[in-house]
Amino acid sequence: MPGGVLRGKRLTFLSNDELQRIHETTVEVLENVGIKSFSDSITKVFADAGAEVDPKNKIVKIPENIVKEALKKAPKRFILCGRNPKNDIIIDNERIYFGMGGTPTPYIRDIETGEFRRPTRKDFADATRLGDALPNMSFLMTIAGAFDVPYELEYLYEYEILFNNTEKPIVYPAPGAEIAKYALKMASIVAGGEEELRKRPILSLYGEPPPPLMITETDENLIEYARLGIPIALGPTAMAGSTGPITLAGAAIISNAGSLTAISLVQLINPGSPILYACWVAATDPRTGRHAYGSPEFAFSTSVINSQMAHYYGLPCFGFAGCPDSNYPDAQAGAEAMMMTLMNTLSGVNLMHDCGYIAGGDAGSMEMAVICDEICGIALKIARGIDVNDETLAFDIIREVGPCGHFLSHKHTLKFLEKGEIYIPKLFKRLSKDEWIKTGKKKIHEVARETAKKILKEHFPEPLPKDVQQKLTSVLKQAEEKLRTSK
Amino acid sequence: MALNDVLNEVKEAVLSFDSEKTVEAVKKALKAGLNPIDIIEKGITPGLQIVGKKFEEGELFLMHLVAAGEAAKKAIDQVIQPELLKSGSERKTLGKVVIGTVAGDIHDIGKNIVAALLFAAGFEVYDLGKDVPTSEFVKKAKEVNADVVALSALLSTTLPVQKEVIDALKAAGIREKVKVIVGGAPATKEWAEKIGADGYAATATEAVTVVKKLLNFD
Repeated sequence: MPGGVLRGKRLTFLSNDELQRIHETTVEVLENVGIKSFSDSITKVFADAGAEVDPKNKIVKIPENIVKEALKKAPKRFILCGRNPKNDIIIDNERIYFGMGGTPTPYIRDIETGEFRRPTRKDFADATRLGDALPNMSFLMTIAGAFDVPYELEYLYEYEILFNNTEKPIVYPAPGAEIAKYALKMASIVAGGEEELRKRPILSLYGEPPPPLMITETDENLIEYARLGIPIALGPTAMAGSTGPITLAGAAIISNAGSLTAISLVQLINPGSPILYACWVAATDPRTGRHAYGSPEFAFSTSVINSQMAHYYGLPCFGFAGCPDSNYPDAQAGAEAMMMTLMNTLSGVNLMHDCGYIAGGDAGSMEMAVICDEICGIALKIARGIDVNDETLAFDIIREVGPCGHFLSHKHTLKFLEKGEIYIPKLFKRLSKDEWIKTGKKKIHEVARETAKKILKEHFPEPLPKDVQQKLTSVLKQAEEKLRTSK
Repeated sequence: MALNDVLNEVKEAVLSFDSEKTVEAVKKALKAGLNPIDIIEKGITPGLQIVGKKFEEGELFLMHLVAAGEAAKKAIDQVIQPELLKSGSERKTLGKVVIGTVAGDIHDIGKNIVAALLFAAGFEVYDLGKDVPTSEFVKKAKEVNADVVALSALLSTTLPVQKEVIDALKAAGIREKVKVIVGGAPATKEWAEKIGADGYAATATEAVTVVKKLLNFD
């Protein structure tokens, strides 16, 4: 379960007036510019609620009252469960948790060779088991895709592997209505029935309405999850300078519009259905055109803008840790991962994902996942702050030990050492240079690799009951018959 | 005004990334009696080449390339093309590229950047937009005698449509006549090889390099 709470004040750069302006400008965009809906069923939901629809251009103009009502109805607190209840987490706007991975990456950094290659079901299963073991990962996505399967079924194979290989809560995409329905069916089987799943949702959808100002048939998955009241995490990301204005405030409007559209849709379908807010702005790298994960702009927007707007709306939010642009677990990767993690943590972002990503999201890396787990531990320690009270001020102890004394063996020291007053890194080393040389001058990503390999060798979650495994496989077979068109 | 000055004004307009300025400068050049092909080759193209060089040197960025490309395209489409049609001539380009995002996919920012860079590099670009029906790629490729068909997809669910387009080109009997390149976040070199594409690129600038190589321009 870990995670924690941000003890101190959240990072707040924006005044309430500024947050209000962002909100009001977004509402103006939704009312006057509108969003383009490529989905008839989504358009219908808005039309039935009183939105103005231009069917020729597929533009839906969402009036303020729909947004207002939706923000009132969206719950401020809900649970996301693991197969094992000890892993359940409460999602509100105070608690903070980290997650491994994100949406499936096209490549994985091979754990033996460090080369980039196409990942398979085995890699996906290994990634899941790794995340299941890492102590600071409270929920799982992925750092590999499963590409040795028919493409129409990729996500369903991945769900099967997720359910079998982790007891932690799952946050994962399920693009389109069909895949969403099958994913929910599989989840219901694992949970012990649809009613059980509603009470204890062991998964959350992750969706990305595309900027600027679009919603597509892929997003019909929102309808399926909302119907059952299963949590949804959003990731609308305008890229400043390409799919949004280059000014971060302007790009935030585009992303916020995406979130408010999705939140409105969900509340119209099933008022009170849980959904995490997000407002992310990526820099469009001016040299490559790529989405710059490790940019200060992305760090700032996913932390400060995201969290401040989420608090303005009173909703929990989804953000980031990890995710370097660097193609190697090097100094750049470490710097980018730490920047992202600390900024998000100190902004009190509630669920932070992408730990273990590398190469700007093109690849996942087991070493990076282990490194990020450490970084997250460090961030949580800082977030805890300190207690200032009689016991911690330790006046009596100071008087007892007196000038020139030492505190090493005092009961007080031992007590608070055991309580975690000093963070003890699991991965990062603080060797003297001589020790470092003597022990082989290891680079930290090499040590991370050894840790990952050990975990993969030793850690296996509680297997699903045989009959559940079989039921999942048969749903997969059903899906294959229905959806597979390729050879 | 000396003809060189007029051509220089065209070049400077491109370098200012301003569409309106470029259109005006080109109109002025035509009025001054310059040949439309000369206006392109001695005014617009040098401007684009300078932008390209400065981009490579890190002085200018993608946004500049796209803006310069759009300024040049507007002037060529609005002012030069009608003139060329009148005289029945055609501008020289490095080749013809039909580009689009495949059916079912509405993501196009990467594709737009590639289209702009290809244009700025001297190719004739036919941008079919996004969510393009497979048959449209084939139709356009035939219609303009394309040298390259460039396909973009951003979703793992639409990526396979790239193979469908290749199959459609085969069925129409023109697969051998075009080079096919593919791109987009879920696309990989292995995927391109698997579906029998001729090239793959991970970024817009790499795409231009690949196209040039495929058409033997390096």
